[in-house]
Amino acid sequence: MLSFIGRSIIQKIITLFFVSIVSFLIIHLAPGKPSQVDPLNPKFTPEMVERFRKEFHLDKPLHVQYLLFYRDLFTGKTASWKDNQPVLKKIWERFLNSLPLFIVGTILTWTLSFPIGIRSAISRGGFYDRSATFFSYLLISIPGFFFAYILIIFVVNTFHVPVIGMETFGIGDPSWPRWAMDRVWHLLLPSVLGATGGIAVLSRYVRSQMLEVESQDYVRTAMAKGVPPEQVHYKHALRNALLPFVTMFGLILPGLIGGSVIIESIFSWPGMGRMAYEAILARDYPVILTVNFVSAVLVLAGTFISDILYMVVDPRIRL
Amino acid sequence: MTIRKVLIFTPILVILFLLQSYFWVPTYEQQSRGNPDRLNEYITASIGDASILNPILSADSASGDINSMVFEGLIDRDEELRFRGRLATSWEVFEEAFFYINESASIPGVDTARAEEVVDFLRKPKKDNGVSDPQLKACLDNIREIAVIPHREFLITKREKDPKNSKKEIEVKVHVKAPARVKLTLTAVDQDLFKNLTQLLGETYFTSFRGERYLSTDPPVEKEKLAAYAREFVPATEHNPILIFHLRPDVHFHDGHVFDANDVKFTYESIMNPRNLSPRIADYEPVKAVEVIDPLTAKIVYKRLYSPAIGTWGMGILPEHLLNQEALKREALRLGKDPEKFSMRQSGFNRHPIGCGPFVFQEWKSDQYIVLDQLNRYWEGPPNYKSYIYRIIPDPLTQEMEFYAGTIDNYGVQPHQVQRLKNDPTYQSFSGPSFGYTYIGYNMRREPFNDYRVRIALGMAIDVNKIIQYVLHGQGEQITGPFVKQTDYYNHSIKPLPYDPGRALELLAEAGWTRNKEGRLEKDGKPFQFTLITNSGNDLRKAILTIAQDSWKQIGIDVRTDLLEWAVFIQERVDKADFDALILGWSMGIEPDLYQIWHSSQTNPYQLNFVGFKNKEADELIIKIRQEYDHNIQVEYCHRLHEIIAREQPYTFLYVSKWTAILDKRIVIKEVDEKGNVIYKQIQPTKTGTYTFYFNKWIKLPEVPTFALEG
Repeated sequence: MLSFIGRSIIQKIITLFFVSIVSFLIIHLAPGKPSQVDPLNPKFTPEMVERFRKEFHLDKPLHVQYLLFYRDLFTGKTASWKDNQPVLKKIWERFLNSLPLFIVGTILTWTLSFPIGIRSAISRGGFYDRSATFFSYLLISIPGFFFAYILIIFVVNTFHVPVIGMETFGIGDPSWPRWAMDRVWHLLLPSVLGATGGIAVLSRYVRSQMLEVESQDYVRTAMAKGVPPEQVHYKHALRNALLPFVTMFGLILPGLIGGSVIIESIFSWPGMGRMAYEAILARDYPVILTVNFVSAVLVLAGTFISDILYMVVDPRIRL
Repeated sequence: MTIRKVLIFTPILVILFLLQSYFWVPTYEQQSRGNPDRLNEYITASIGDASILNPILSADSASGDINSMVFEGLIDRDEELRFRGRLATSWEVFEEAFFYINESASIPGVDTARAEEVVDFLRKPKKDNGVSDPQLKACLDNIREIAVIPHREFLITKREKDPKNSKKEIEVKVHVKAPARVKLTLTAVDQDLFKNLTQLLGETYFTSFRGERYLSTDPPVEKEKLAAYAREFVPATEHNPILIFHLRPDVHFHDGHVFDANDVKFTYESIMNPRNLSPRIADYEPVKAVEVIDPLTAKIVYKRLYSPAIGTWGMGILPEHLLNQEALKREALRLGKDPEKFSMRQSGFNRHPIGCGPFVFQEWKSDQYIVLDQLNRYWEGPPNYKSYIYRIIPDPLTQEMEFYAGTIDNYGVQPHQVQRLKNDPTYQSFSGPSFGYTYIGYNMRREPFNDYRVRIALGMAIDVNKIIQYVLHGQGEQITGPFVKQTDYYNHSIKPLPYDPGRALELLAEAGWTRNKEGRLEKDGKPFQFTLITNSGNDLRKAILTIAQDSWKQIGIDVRTDLLEWAVFIQERVDKADFDALILGWSMGIEPDLYQIWHSSQTNPYQLNFVGFKNKEADELIIKIRQEYDHNIQVEYCHRLHEIIAREQPYTFLYVSKWTAILDKRIVIKEVDEKGNVIYKQIQPTKTGTYTFYFNKWIKLPEVPTFALEG
């Protein structure tokens, strides 16, 4: 067990190192320049561009830039080129904004998908299964931004309430519960929107996993010996169907930092995804690379956690 | 079974919790729910962020919106577009005119005369009342004072290109021995002064004056150059209109500093300072000098007659104490920058402006919002709204949604939405024509567009009303000439060209174009064929292009069309006048100065009269309009000019588009009468269509008020 953990950690550190090199190269290979040093930007004179180049170490060879960047990152000194704010502080602020969206979205996805998928599997081919399938595929195929706009127009036109942003603009300083409830309201649409896509996909997985398990002998045995059907499905069958989801659960961790670019942009939500997107547009290398690095760490941590969880749930792995 | 229950009830509870928050959120109907201050805020939105909050440097509309709230000019325009005092309480316009004594010219009845003799000669008819011509009499009565400026000598150094080496510059010393000069002070500006004086002084008194004789240069220059110097330094006649502003006392900038005439002078100098690269520099070029007479009087002397110049004093006045040389130097040193290279453009002032307008700048979060607060001691009384918030929302759909939700107070409706929103009882709506028009211009240098009958026929073949109805969703008005439709200058008695293809064919037949067997128009065996172009990326123009092509095809004209990318369109085709016909639009100011677009001297490449319109009478009128300071006479000239242009049809004038804006119905005008009673009135647009004119009196009420029928 311990040796497995140790080996896994070493492997992951090596992977991380390569990821850092590749992402660094990709960013520098991408066309376009940071707006501060773009010779086409009319706001800056050539000497200012030169000064920025120096300040950002852009005049140094790539490998030196690489070392300088990661030295700054590990000492926490990296600052955004756009506004000179420390990147880690920026990421932390945006992360806190994205967190509620992520939590609510995840709770909805990982609870609702199971009953929906299981019922589909049980009533396979029936009316419920067909309509569930229809709606899942509908939700999977509708582009997220389109669905978001439809929903916004519907809610605003029907209820005349603000839905965009993290809070009602110009709300001022209301009482505490009102302030909190205003935020909760603004959370509703984006998190539900984020969850619908997840539910649609995940319930399909649940369905297929359950179908596989439901045809097993022990399920038939349980049914035959008179165990209540609910207990058969949700205890005997579900436990065995759950194994692949353990892996998937580990992989939602990086979603925390990636956020949802589209939903955050449409709802003007100042979250992680929107920050990363804007950083890419402005070629703000420190922000892009830091977000990239952090998400790489989270992906690896996620896989690590799912490996461990796997061992906990499935005794066969431990052998 | 617990697992199942947990899996089903957790999400249901979460969603119910999220949904119940709806009852806490302010809705459109109850915007003040939990936030009573919402009624004291006016929130508006813009597609783009402001760039520079300095009225002399900004060029974008978002910056302009904010600057007009924070800064105030000396004058602005009232509901009827007349000038009205803001930082200036009143102003006078008069003139000082000069002419050099022409020693070689002989004055009828006097022969050659020296300065004193000319003055006496001019004073005599004024005293004797012996002039019969009423025009000349009025002209002489207008003269308040006559004085002589004695002969003087001066030296001017000019930098010129070296004729031998075009890259190098050389210094030319111009030695001027100017003869005596007569100065006439006039009560009112009179552009015909010298024309009338020729009745007394002789037809050629002014024209035969040779300024070159009084110049010598070192090194010697060519004859043309010398003549140019003569026109510059010893012009035979000179009009110097003078504008004196009496400033409002006890006006303070937002930081408490007192506003005075030095700030006016400073604002002018900042605009003219080449280091600031002000986009307004051309407007102030005719200014000769700005003088501070006393702290509350500023005198502006102009180089020549140019009546649109008065309107430029609507420019927001900058605080001198914060932006002058020393202040900028201090700022540069504080920021560790080179004081030599530090200009007003780099100053932090542009992100934190201080003016004397009705609103005080508070906060600017880039790409998010700008907040302004009311100024309590504003000289006209504080605005009713406590704050003005300018949100930056790039997406029009988001703007619309925010308006429906009550987090923006106004929304600029898009043409296709007007039908739906205009009559919505929830909102009040305003609409009016915009400042600008769209037209089809013909290259009058080319056959067959040099014949006015052809141009009229082409105009008659297009059904403009259909364009307005289908392309603009009814959001446009037909226009007949080059003036802004809501001003007096526009001549409403001119009827638009009727849609009449039959008459068009008759006119074409008169011009020699007849239909052949296939129905195509021909003249001397040559088919009527040309290309209509416009720029790509503008869907309206593209639609008009197709409609025009189709309309003209129906009367037998072979029209090709072409869409060109903007830069190519302007640089290769418009600037070089290489086109047959094109679709374009002009956006206009209120001033009726048409010199650049219609004067015959502006028909060269890269100039704006690219259709090549040349008309002697129009030329005279254009000059007269820009030199006339009397509004009624100006209107008269404009109506005549409008007539000429409508008759000549160098353009087929199509339409001026209409804007529509909707506003929360609870926003009203709040006034307090002498007894202290509060009166609420409905917002009415002014004659020119602006609904925000009384913005400082606006306030939002908690409920939609009911108004008695407007009496």
